[in-house]
Amino acid sequence: MSAKKSNGMNQSQKLMVFVLTMSLYGLATLITELIPKFQVGIVEFSVEYFLFIPLSLAMLFDPLSAALGASTGELVFSEIMLGQFGGLGELEKFLTVAIGVYIAGCLVKDPKNRTQVGAAAILGVILQLFMGMTVDIVKVQTAVAEFEAVPGLPESVFFTEGFAFLNDVLFSGIFFCMLPTMYLVPRLYGKIEPLLGIKPRQAQDQISGKPVLSVKAAVLSLIGFGAAVGAEYLAESGMQIIDWEASWAESSGALAVGIIVAAAAAAIVIFWMKRNAQLRNAG
Amino acid sequence: MRCIMLEKLSENIFDKVSIDFLRNQVLKNAYGNNDTVIAALDPRILLLWYLFFGLVPWFMDNVILLLGMFLLVAVTARLAKIAPLVLFLFCLGVFTQTGYLLLVSLFFGGNGETVVSLLIMTLKVAVVSLASVTVFSGLDPDRLANGLEWFGCPERFSFSISFGYRMLPILMEEFQNILLSYRLRGNAPARDTLAGKVKWLVYQVKVIMSAFYPLMLNTAKRSRTTVEALELKGYRYASRNMAVKRIRLASLRLKKADIWFVGLSAVWTAVCLGLSQWVGSGVLQI
Repeated sequence: MSAKKSNGMNQSQKLMVFVLTMSLYGLATLITELIPKFQVGIVEFSVEYFLFIPLSLAMLFDPLSAALGASTGELVFSEIMLGQFGGLGELEKFLTVAIGVYIAGCLVKDPKNRTQVGAAAILGVILQLFMGMTVDIVKVQTAVAEFEAVPGLPESVFFTEGFAFLNDVLFSGIFFCMLPTMYLVPRLYGKIEPLLGIKPRQAQDQISGKPVLSVKAAVLSLIGFGAAVGAEYLAESGMQIIDWEASWAESSGALAVGIIVAAAAAAIVIFWMKRNAQLRNAG
Repeated sequence: MRCIMLEKLSENIFDKVSIDFLRNQVLKNAYGNNDTVIAALDPRILLLWYLFFGLVPWFMDNVILLLGMFLLVAVTARLAKIAPLVLFLFCLGVFTQTGYLLLVSLFFGGNGETVVSLLIMTLKVAVVSLASVTVFSGLDPDRLANGLEWFGCPERFSFSISFGYRMLPILMEEFQNILLSYRLRGNAPARDTLAGKVKWLVYQVKVIMSAFYPLMLNTAKRSRTTVEALELKGYRYASRNMAVKRIRLASLRLKKADIWFVGLSAVWTAVCLGLSQWVGSGVLQI
């Protein structure tokens, strides 16, 4: 069949996987809101998330569709539907969850091998949490000018974030991601695929030239993430230069700001007109 | 910061722990506040407005300007009729987060300078979060999806929102049925002592997790039906076709109220900027 794609799934089957992961993980994030948290000192016992659901599905089906479905489900079901959507801040979680789940799904070659499944699951969780931690630290660094110069702040940020990271990996990571995934994947294997009209994933599906590509994609996504963090950091130091110029020559700084604002406004207006014309001319 | 807010919310929700409560909350949010000033505005304008107030404060260090922005977004949040509970919890969240950071930094040898930096950071976070609360809680999800799609967001995202609207109540009911059947067959541990309570909680969480196994199989069947029905109607073709998109987005129109909203925000920000320059560059610049 010409419509068949690389790992034995066509487009509509990928859409099925997307819808499946989205509904399940969305529901799961809603449910976790109901489970209380415990704090013993500064150690927190919380159900951070039920990441085992998208992890299992990514290992059984197409990892990319499952990863995108999971992060969309979380965004739409538990944030937008409950009116708690945080705007741009959610982008970070969207990307980190998608990358973590995708890489974990790509790593598994044989879903019946429990050791492999468990290792991939915990690795995906660690990746996701680590990226989240990095973004949080960079956010504080951006928000506080001359971050390094403020006494006590750098150490405390690194300490609190690092501790939360370890806490999450050791508690939620093991109990709510690794163990359930190890239990579910071999059990679901061969049972859930026929319901979607898909052949169970075979070890040779992955070996035939596919894993090289996925490893490459994984490395690329990591580089992309690094670029995003770097861009945020650079933006901050860039603004510092403008500030410094402003104090040195008041008028030229104001002029620069004016030019930036005018350029942004013009870009928006042009985009607006172009988009309207595009829609009007269609059909 | 938002995690803490969610945490408080979830603790609060746990008092009335039931899936029915969650379902009502979802429905209320979906159809609840469509008659406010903010909800009547064009979603595209609101998204652009959010882009400004969600990004720019991070790069500002002037107290007067930040305070002015804070006043503006506080007024818009008031206009959007955000539930007072959400607002209160949001304030609590912002201040406990920075308070915690402050305590730890004092432990590492911080001083007054640390306090000032953290206060400015709190102000920035407050402006950004209030702006997002205004836009994303004030708009109803369908209009938000339309606005995002107009800016070129993939169609799959607005499909997900509409799908969530219709399917979430059904999914929750099904999950609840599975959960109840597990509870009927199981024997929950006694919860008189502290150890018993912990055991009970662990048992409940275990039941919730194992309830996902049958749910996964059921949902797999259902999502196959959904996708096949979509394919029959030519969904994947229509999602890429511009003519279809035009019909879908025809309801978005700029009105006078939108112009007023943008104009007033711009004038207010400009006034604050002027004021902050006038008060003396350097005195309050930290």
